[in-house]
Amino acid sequence: MALLEVDNLQTHFRTPGGINRAVDGVSFHVNEGETLAIVGESGCGKSVTSMSLMRLIPEPPGRIAGSIRFAGKDLLKLSDREMRAIRGNDISMIFQEPMTSLNPVLTVGRQIRETLMIHQGLDKQAAEAHAIEMLTLVGIPEPGRRVREYPHQLSGGMRQRVMIAIALACNPKLLIADEPTTALDVTIQAQILKLMLDLKRRVGAAIILITHDLGVVAEIAERVMVMYAGRKVEEAPVAELFRSPRHPYTQGLLGAVPRLGSSLTGTARRLAEIPGQVPDLRKPIVGCVFAGRCALATDLCRQYAPGLEEKGPRHIAACHYSAKGAVAA
Amino acid sequence: MLSYILRRIAATLPVMAIVALFVFSLLYIAPGDPAVVIAGDQASPEDVERIRQSLGLDRPFLVQFGSWVWRILHGDLGTSIFTNLPVSAMIGQRLGPTLSLMIVTLLLTIVVAVPLGVVAAWKAGSLIDRVIMGFAVFGFSLPVFVVGYMLAYIFALELEWLPVQGYTPLSSGFWPWLENLILPAIALGCVYIALVARITRASMLEVLQQDYIRTAKAKGLGQGGILFIHALKNAAVPIVTVIGIGIALLIGGAVVTESVFAIPGLGRLTIDAILRRDYPVIQGIVLLFSFVYVLVNLMIDVIYTLVDPRIRY
Repeated sequence: MALLEVDNLQTHFRTPGGINRAVDGVSFHVNEGETLAIVGESGCGKSVTSMSLMRLIPEPPGRIAGSIRFAGKDLLKLSDREMRAIRGNDISMIFQEPMTSLNPVLTVGRQIRETLMIHQGLDKQAAEAHAIEMLTLVGIPEPGRRVREYPHQLSGGMRQRVMIAIALACNPKLLIADEPTTALDVTIQAQILKLMLDLKRRVGAAIILITHDLGVVAEIAERVMVMYAGRKVEEAPVAELFRSPRHPYTQGLLGAVPRLGSSLTGTARRLAEIPGQVPDLRKPIVGCVFAGRCALATDLCRQYAPGLEEKGPRHIAACHYSAKGAVAA
Repeated sequence: MLSYILRRIAATLPVMAIVALFVFSLLYIAPGDPAVVIAGDQASPEDVERIRQSLGLDRPFLVQFGSWVWRILHGDLGTSIFTNLPVSAMIGQRLGPTLSLMIVTLLLTIVVAVPLGVVAAWKAGSLIDRVIMGFAVFGFSLPVFVVGYMLAYIFALELEWLPVQGYTPLSSGFWPWLENLILPAIALGCVYIALVARITRASMLEVLQQDYIRTAKAKGLGQGGILFIHALKNAAVPIVTVIGIGIALLIGGAVVTESVFAIPGLGRLTIDAILRRDYPVIQGIVLLFSFVYVLVNLMIDVIYTLVDPRIRY
């Protein structure tokens, strides 16, 4: 059953240069307990999508339209108070920057306690005890001492563990992780990913993982949605997507991943890059959003935007020539 | 923490020494022979010579300075030339009203200016923001005595809500004490409130852009908790600094305010002393104000460490 159903989400920003269509008509769903990855390069709208789900987009200059149905309620129709009761409780979020996402002048304990006191109605002692429990759960040694410390006394990896402790303190149904490991050392990345997966199983939460790191996607996601220029261009189960990407943009993304050891086996080649830049989202786009950078683009692509079509088992992509594209890959 | 405070106190000693040197030099910087100045216009040459010897003005400068400091350290600020009373006793009498005025003004400023600045930052660019900042510019541009006379005219003479002038000590009751201080505190606080509100807004605007504010929102915190706990504590260091610097403003403003509202405080004493060229009194007051200011700076440094755990001591 779908926990979250997003239909025709449009998040636009009024700017001096015109209306920026950061997210333009994106629909997707997340099932209970499922892990969905949203991938794409910087500026494709993946972070704006996640912020829109939490209604954390400042309005104005932003404007969110469409519908976001979570556990039967349309989040866009809730009052501010009702929305606050959901944030950090039913849906919580982990951000990219563990170094700046924690408040530097409040103790770690206080920052975990807060969410428990607001949403679970715990008193200070109970919340403190639970905070220590959460720190133990996310693998922080000496939690009894750490709760009284400030973020600057912790390393980056530790801080991200604290963020995870805050996010999972109220047993959310959905966890949105926006590039949770990007700012961390590679060795720490693996630990944090494993921790997220362990805790997800324990709590039974669904995860939306926002990332541009396809290695991370392969490791923990079940389904992948690829975004480009504020639109969804492809969606498939993770194995299917890696085996037969149908959209030229997805193929480009996969081609840009370095393969470890390829120079030893003699299969090394120059990393394929995607030429060109993301189109200006403040101007209306005619035709396919990717046409300007696509090697396969024809006049058809430049005039008519392709719709999302069934390309395989639970696999959809928006490309006029995706069959040909699949062969070319 | 204690060793930090002790080190900070030690660091203020050279500052106090230099201040003392300046204050002492006042007598020599003033035009004319100090003995003639002290003796006044009608003194005979014998009188001048007698004063010169009794005050030790014929001894070398540094020796005089040394013995002056020595006496001050023993609590002796000298004797007023005009009243012949000990300077410390004269200051002691006038300390209460000035201290009351400054404390009421300080509290009024913090209670009014900080919330105004926070709201202005939260609603940045809106009508509320522009109204608040408009008032801030207004408050900043009006001299204390203009505001003072306007307030006295409206609220004391016309509406008769509050007394026109005067002072009642706290020992006669809280309300009689406070009612005499409300108008002076508003008049004196205008510039100060404007300054603190502006700094609060600027500091909050920067903090509200930070990632941890987004985190606080994502946790489901209400607007009040986000603004006054998560944001204000981070914005506090510049605000505390300006409140501290503002105390120097208050000292200057108190002199004028006390004249407007006929408050028998140190400000009035200062003006009287200057008009009478009562140098020992002037020296005593300036020394006291400098000491208060150094003390305030020390308190600010201590408050920093309470507000921001990253500041080490």
